[in-house]
Amino acid sequence: MINRRTLLTTALTLGAMKAFPGLSYAQARPLVFATFTGSWEEAHKAVLVPAFRKANADASIVLDPMLSVDQIAKVNAARANPPIDVMLHDPGPALVAIGQDLVEPYPVEKSTYYKDLIAEAQEPMGPAPFFQVVGLTYNPDTVKTAPTSWADLWKPEFKGRVGITNLNSTLGTGWLVEVARMHGGSEANVDPGFKALEALKPNLAAVAANPGALATLFQQGQIDISPGNFNAIQILKARGVPVEFVAPKEGAIAFKTTIHVVKNSPNRDFAFKLIEAALSPEVQTTLMNSPYLIVPTNSKVSMGGEIARVLTKDTAELKKKFVFQDWKKINEQRSAWIERFNREIKI
Amino acid sequence: MMAAASAPRDVTSYGIGLAAPLALFFLAFFVAPLVQLFILSLHNDAAGAIWGIGQYVHFLTDPFSLSVLGSTLLLGAEVTALCLVLGFPIAWLYHRVGSRTQTLIILIVLLPLLTSVVVRTFAWIVILGRQGIINSTLLSIGAIDTPIRLLYTQFGVVVALAQVQMPLMTLPLITVLGRIDMNLEDASCSLGAGSWRTFWKVVLPLSLPGVIAGCTLTYAAAITAFITQSLVGGGQMLFMPMYLYQQASTLQNWPFAGAISIIFLFAVLAVVTVFGMLGRLSRGYGEA
Repeated sequence: MINRRTLLTTALTLGAMKAFPGLSYAQARPLVFATFTGSWEEAHKAVLVPAFRKANADASIVLDPMLSVDQIAKVNAARANPPIDVMLHDPGPALVAIGQDLVEPYPVEKSTYYKDLIAEAQEPMGPAPFFQVVGLTYNPDTVKTAPTSWADLWKPEFKGRVGITNLNSTLGTGWLVEVARMHGGSEANVDPGFKALEALKPNLAAVAANPGALATLFQQGQIDISPGNFNAIQILKARGVPVEFVAPKEGAIAFKTTIHVVKNSPNRDFAFKLIEAALSPEVQTTLMNSPYLIVPTNSKVSMGGEIARVLTKDTAELKKKFVFQDWKKINEQRSAWIERFNREIKI
Repeated sequence: MMAAASAPRDVTSYGIGLAAPLALFFLAFFVAPLVQLFILSLHNDAAGAIWGIGQYVHFLTDPFSLSVLGSTLLLGAEVTALCLVLGFPIAWLYHRVGSRTQTLIILIVLLPLLTSVVVRTFAWIVILGRQGIINSTLLSIGAIDTPIRLLYTQFGVVVALAQVQMPLMTLPLITVLGRIDMNLEDASCSLGAGSWRTFWKVVLPLSLPGVIAGCTLTYAAAITAFITQSLVGGGQMLFMPMYLYQQASTLQNWPFAGAISIIFLFAVLAVVTVFGMLGRLSRGYGEA
């Protein structure tokens, strides 16, 4: 007999089942993949996730875009039952995550694609499916001769037109190390870099809080030249913003972006399969092409299009042309540098 | 908070049980995490293994950390002052215009609350930029030769925050000014006081509870406004929320981040207490 009470109960139950699908199916939660925000999220939503779902009978997967450091904080807060299954990291945070015992070794022996990755990308604690490249970005409408070196940022003609980010980001920290190297320093000694920053102050128009904010400054004409991320610039270019990327003659900085299975993940198998998809030549080829232009790490993928034109023809040239930094050394002193940057860089 | 003054005297006649759900909610989701944060801050190392008050000592003996705290508290004062100076005339005007204009004023005051803080902040980046509205206008009328720096300055942050937080100031002011009997002003004028004197001696003292309430809300919102501070202030201007974020997220130094938040919390509580004391004084003044 249906009365008001049973009707209400039924309705509430159905509603709850809708709101919490976990109640109705005795299945683990969907695979949670923490990617980066912005261009990465777009690329992964459009290419990687569909490839994974196709290969795994539409297994449920959720993208949770956030910064590497926030991923670490989230997993660290709930180690036994982590809210994330797959993490994506820049080299600095990757070492932190490994050091804090938050990730599992990659099951290399089970992997189809691991051995095809270039040597630099073969990381047993989490392989690198992509590279990020940092070079010089500039506005071709206002900067008539293309810059060729990091040192160009110090040219008097760029007074009040240079943008940088602070050291919260991999971009800012990696760039400072290169500046230090240019003046005789290294990952272990960034003093020369800080001295050079002091001399750069008259040229600085902005110190952006993050790389995303830096990219948008080109849009507003706030800055004309800056160290910048290849991918971030492509997005702006695609939207019609006048901005170009060049690899400085000192060598563009290459960061491995590594992908990890989170320790204690209830979705280990799917996590592995997602990472396999990210390493596969098909996904990497699609991501390499317009509009994503993400540098591949699988040696079976031949470089093409804009990447071949601006960055590198093949992986051999990539290794020669790019600077890989020692993030283990960098991490040792990074907090001291951030503190020093906080104190010294006021414009 | 200030409206509680008019509550019935015998509060206990309502069962205290009615407040229990909210109290439990606060205990579970506010007090408990806060206690946890405090315990976390009582560790000397980043991993949280060694007990001690080292993080507090570090903060309170470090001139740099103290200057971050100082500049954050100052920022709040500047924003609050600007909101008060700009918000008071609007609230005053509200009670002296027709109902149609009143609706318009309320709409204008509330409009910022209906858009996201991020959108409003980006609008300010567009306005204050080198090629923004202000600079291009000044350039076109020939007042300046090169764009002036507005973005990434303290000025820019204060102006943007003032706009973002303005409703928090204006709404309490509109309420309190509405409670003042307009005959009092007429009486003051008919007894020979000029309009300024009437304002200082009659309107302002009677509106003090609203001023205090508005200032407290604006102040607390302004100093904790992470998004506006970091987007308009840029990466080189450090205020407490960004400092906290940097320590917690970029550096994973949770105990120090915990100590920073507890110190920040107490600094804000101190300021709010001062406002509250002023509020009690003003009530006595207003009723006298």
